[in-house]
This record gives sequence, C-alpha cells and structure tokens, in this order.
Amino acid sequence: MTPPPPRDPRRWIYGGLDVGFAIAYAAAIILVVPSRLPSAELHLWSLPVAAALMAVGTIMGGRRGWQVAVIGGSLQLLSMVLMIARVLMSAAFLSGVYGAFGKAAASGALVGVALLVEIVGLLPLFQVNYLRSRAGRRAFGVTGA
Amino acid sequence: MTRRRRQLIAVWTLPSLLFLAVTAYAYGTFRIAPPIRLDDAARAAILAPLRAAVDGRTTPGAATGDLGDGPLCATVWLDGKALARVDGHGDTLAAASDDAARQLRAQGQLRALTTFDRSRARIQVDLVAGRGPLAGGGGVFDALAIPGIASSLALNPGIDGIGVLVDDHEILILPHELVTAKLLQSQRPSSALPDFAMGTDMARIEQLVRRRVAVASGQRGSKLDPSVHPTGLFRFRTDAFVEPPVGSEGRGAASLALTRGLPPALPPSAASLRAAALLGAHYLVGHLGVNGRYVYEHDVSTGHMSDPLRLTGDYSMPRHAGTTYFLAEVYRHTKEEWLREPIERAFHHLSDLIADGHCGATLPSGVEIDCVLDHTETTAQLGSTALAVVALAEYQRATGDRRYLPLATKLTAFILFLQRPDGSFRHLYDPKAHLADDDAQLLYYSGEATLALSRMWVVTQDPKYGDAAVRGLDWLVGWYDFFLGGFFYGEEHWTCISAEAIYDYAPGQKESYREFCDGYGTFLRQQQAEVGELPDEDDLAGSYNVTPFVLPYNTPAGSRTEAMISAYLLGVHHGHGDPRIRDQIVRTLGYLLGEQIRPESDFSMVGPAVGGMPGSPIDRNVRIDFVQHTNSAMIRAAEWIDSPAP
Repeated sequence: MTPPPPRDPRRWIYGGLDVGFAIAYAAAIILVVPSRLPSAELHLWSLPVAAALMAVGTIMGGRRGWQVAVIGGSLQLLSMVLMIARVLMSAAFLSGVYGAFGKAAASGALVGVALLVEIVGLLPLFQVNYLRSRAGRRAFGVTGA
Repeated sequence: MTRRRRQLIAVWTLPSLLFLAVTAYAYGTFRIAPPIRLDDAARAAILAPLRAAVDGRTTPGAATGDLGDGPLCATVWLDGKALARVDGHGDTLAAASDDAARQLRAQGQLRALTTFDRSRARIQVDLVAGRGPLAGGGGVFDALAIPGIASSLALNPGIDGIGVLVDDHEILILPHELVTAKLLQSQRPSSALPDFAMGTDMARIEQLVRRRVAVASGQRGSKLDPSVHPTGLFRFRTDAFVEPPVGSEGRGAASLALTRGLPPALPPSAASLRAAALLGAHYLVGHLGVNGRYVYEHDVSTGHMSDPLRLTGDYSMPRHAGTTYFLAEVYRHTKEEWLREPIERAFHHLSDLIADGHCGATLPSGVEIDCVLDHTETTAQLGSTALAVVALAEYQRATGDRRYLPLATKLTAFILFLQRPDGSFRHLYDPKAHLADDDAQLLYYSGEATLALSRMWVVTQDPKYGDAAVRGLDWLVGWYDFFLGGFFYGEEHWTCISAEAIYDYAPGQKESYREFCDGYGTFLRQQQAEVGELPDEDDLAGSYNVTPFVLPYNTPAGSRTEAMISAYLLGVHHGHGDPRIRDQIVRTLGYLLGEQIRPESDFSMVGPAVGGMPGSPIDRNVRIDFVQHTNSAMIRAAEWIDSPAP
C-alpha cells in the first residue's frame, strides 16, 4: 500500500507570508506614505489588497483558492511593473526638463526600483511560480488545471 | 514555438517594452533642446534697430535668417528695473526686430528718458527658441508620474519661461521674470532645513499669468479671457543676450550671451580673482553703516536692504565677525588703505557690543574672560566670540598693529573656558548665571573656535593656544571614528582651515589632518559637476550639488573652496599638493566668478550690487556671509593659482 504524500508546508508558509505582507503594506500606507492623490492612493492600496487575495486563496485551498491566489499574485506583479513604469516616467520627465538626471538621482531611482522588486515583487513571483508548479497544484488539490 | 517558450519571451520582453515606451514618451514630450546661440554679428544686427529706438532714432533691421519659434522679446533695463518689455513678431529676425523697435519707440517712459539715461540703459533680447508642454495640468503624464514631481519640478529654474495662448494672443513670462518674482525653488519641504528650498510655486505662477493677461487686455483695448488654466500653459526656452555696459570709451564690446540671466564667467587667474575679491570688499564697505554694522541683506531684484541702524532686526554676530575677518584678510593680501577704517569701524561695533553685553567675568583662576553678545541676545554664542577672535587676529597679522590683542586675549580665554578636556566645546553661555550649556551643540561653532585658537597661536606663538587648537582638531577629526563615519562628512570647512592654520605648530606630526581633509575633498568632488556632465546646465559646473533639480547655493561653494584651499596647502606643506584638489578649487572658482555681480551682470540689479554674491543662480538676495566665504576663497587662491603645482 502506497503511503499518502506528506502535506506540503509551503502552502501554509506562503499563506502566512501573505498575511504578514498585507498587514505591513497597509500599515506602511497609513503610517509612512499617506498620499493625498487618489491615483497614488489607489495604486498603493492595490498592494495590500493583492496580498490579502493571495492570503485568502492560499489558506482557503482547493481550485477556487488556487485561482484567487494566482489572481492576487498576478495583480501584485502587475502593480509592481506599473510602479516601476511610473518611476521611469518621472525620471524621463526630469531628464527632459533638466537635460540630465544626475548620478545621485539615477542611483536613487535604481535603489528605489531595486527595493520595489525586493519588497513588492519577490513574494508574488515565487508564489505564483509555486502555484503553477505540479507540487503547488497538488497541494491545492488542483488536478488537470 | 511552444506555449511555454512564448510565455517566457513575453515575461522577459513585455515589461521592458513598457518601460522603454513610457520613458520615450515622457522624455520626448517634455524635452526642449537648449537653444543654438547666435553669433556676435547676428546679435549686433538684432540689437541695432532696438538701440536706435531707445535712442530715438530709426535704423532698419538687418539681421538675416528666420525668426524660428519666435517671438523676439526685448527688455530695456535701467538701474536694475525693466523700463519696457515688448515682443516683436515677424517671419524673419529683421522683421521681428523692426516690430520690437517700433513698439519701443512708442513707449512713453523711454521717450521721457534723458540722453544720458538712454545711453546707460541696456537692452536684453530673448529669442524664443523652443516650446514644450507644462506638466501639472492633468493628462496621462500627471496621472502616472510620481506624485509631486510634475507640479513641483515642472520648470528648469532660470532657463524655462511660461507662456499662455489667450484667444489669439500669446502672453510670455520670460525666465528672468519668473526668477525676479521669486516663484522658482520656493517651496520649503522640510521645517528642519528652513534654508533649503526646491520646487515651483505653480499656484502663484498662475496668478502672475492672470495678471499679465489683464495687462495685455488693457493694452489691446479688448478683453482677453482671464480664466487661465494650467492646461493652457506651456514652457519655452530662449537664446538670451544683453548689451554690454557703457564704459569710459562707450559701448564697444560685443553683446553678452546670458544663461540664467548671467553673462559668461571670467577664467580664474590671480588677476581676475584678486579683482573679484576687491569688488566683494567694496560691496561690503559700501554696505557698512556708520555705526559699524553691515547692511545684513540686500535683495538686488527689488533693491530692498536691511537697515544697519536698526539694532533689533535679523542679524548674525558670527557673520558680522566673519565678514570683518574677510575684510582684514583682503587687507593683508592687498594692503589697500581704504579697507582699514571700515574694518576698525566694524571692530568698534564689536567692542561696543562686548562692553554693553556685560559678559565679562573673572574666573577663580584669576583669568579674565569676555564674550560677544548682540543687543537681542541673552545667551552668548561661542561662534560670535570665536569669529571675532579670528577677525582681530587677522587684523594683527595684516597690520602688525597689536591694539586689539588685549581684547582678543580675553575673548580667547572665554573660548578656552568653554573647551572641555577632551577638546570639544560647549557652545552656549549664560552670562547672568555664569553657566555654560553642556548639551546644546550648534553647527560650525567647534570648528570656528578651533580656528580662533589656531590664529591666536599664529599671532602670539603662545603654546597654550596651539595645544588647545590641536585638542580641538583631534576631537573634530576623531568624531568620525566609527563605522558609518567613514562614509560621510559634515560641514567641515572650518576644521580644514584650522588644520592648515596650525600646521607650523605641529609640522609633519598631524598626517591625520591632511588625510581627513583629502578625504573631505574626495567626498565633495563626488557632488561637483564637471563641464559636460549635465549638458543643459554647464553654467553650474564647479558648484556643489547632488542633483540637477535643486540649484546649488553659492555660499557652500565658497566655504568648501576655502576648506579645499587649506587641504591643498596642507598637501603642499607635506611636499605634494594634490592636483585633483587644485582642479576642484579652480572649477569652483570659475563658477563663483560667474555668479558674482559685476558691471557686466548688474543690469538687472537694483541698488549698489556690484561685488555682491547672490544666494544662488536664481536667488537674488545678497547676505554678508555669502560675500565673505566666496571672496575669501578667491583672495586666498589668487596667491598661488598662477604658479605651477609643486
């Protein structure tokens, strides 16, 4: 008789990380970077919402949970790409008006983009990759998806 | 191609394409290339009919070439004020200059001028050479850019003008008009740094545009729609030039190309630096009241000057003393006799303050101390007394006159009293309670006190001052002896000036001072732009600035150059002056020579401004310490700049 496969702990690790990041994003938006501009506010709030979706889907499990988690992760990645685009667009604007961006500003923008990838991009990148893997599907009970 | 491979390619290329697209869109939309400058002959041909119009004559325009973006804006300046401003239109430069000349001839205030004033008036021409949109008025870019960027950094200060098309009428506010209106770099993002300003005040710019629209309505005799909205505004750049000043032999020289309202700088040489420092000294002597107190600030765009006879206004005693130190320094280098009486007058004011301040006391050791206390102060500041000692010692160095030595000795005893055994200083002292504040630490004061001790050693050769100066320097340099301290420097100009001043007391022993100041030089060079590094802003090359978006302040350029001169001389004392520091000094001096107000650039300055040093390329306020630091660097560099590097 074949023993049942061991439960994959990664689902719960990712779920926990999602909850933690969703709370951290929300706290940062409220306490550290409140914005008076609706477009910026909306963009920033997409991060905790996406992380929360990932958390709900991951903890819920099953086909529906898997789909919600993939949508949440993709949304967060899309939000990150848009944030990088906004940084680059602003840098290009300043370069156009002032003729150059300058070493310090360029370094600052690069550090900003690197932090964005690290703080916003890595978790959904790894998690979506896991969700789309065979092990991930199996952990969510998704077969043939 | 498999589905997986297609997905992989899309993941790696689509974001990059998006990034490339938004970058190209933003840059292409907002870029206005710098204007191609006209040559001397073309400028002369444009100016000829305008000059004739100001003189009441008629000369047809002979300039060749198309007007391009146009129009041709002419401003007539007299005594720093814009008497007339017209915009000439036409298909060609000749037609536009004729149109502008015709409008000038119709100006009543020009016709009312005397022949002498007409000859003194100077004509500035701004040829509009490129236009671009103004961010901050809505649209895709404003929705997507980082919040605040589009609105606060929408204009290149002093380079961009603002225009609006109302009905069929174009209203242009020239770059220098925005500077004069103080609407650029006017936001103060941090209450902790009240002197630091960046960002454009767009709301007030819109008000200014509305006022211009109303004026244009009056001139046209028909009402223009005053409901100006940011979406209707645009940016533009100009090729600007101005007539040279009238000299003793008339107005012979070629016109002067202007960048941010300033003509090109003279190259740094012993002669140009010495002449500039003397101009600075003339400015300060001309701004010294009969009571020995300086006109602390002079806004040369309006002519408003603070009143030196009003003792309760905003005034800094450390700056009073530092400025007098500079005058004594110029006297030491030049021996110009017209400097002596004003220096003594400024010292007399210091003596009065010392007598009125009742700060004097006798310590238990029997040593007498005294300090400088302004009328408005109840707490003595170490910096005021320290720079007073520096100035008094410099006077003795320059003249050999020892009359102020007893006073300097009592003031230095006060500095020694405030020094702790580890070499650090207490910065504030309550003379009524005879108590020093052990907690407060203020910028610059420790360096200033150390320099005072160094200079007292120089004029007295008393080792107690030398020992105290070395203790102070060891503390200042040793403060950075922790991990993060290896990555940054504070404002250490007084430290390096002091390190060089005390060199003879401990020759060769203090290698650490030279290393510290060399490191400070390296740190500063990383903030110094070179020609070509920021192509639109070559006029700022040599200044110290970390981004092109915030214009540099001139005073740090001066004080840091003072420090770099000392760092370079420390190297010379050790047998080899660092050529990188020498080049760094020369670059900054070139920048500062361009910033200083001189007869060529004073056409838009109100009041006796020649020799003054404005706060920045777009801040037309001159404060005494701006002149002090920048010109002190000039007179010191004039000593060796023409000599080959050792």
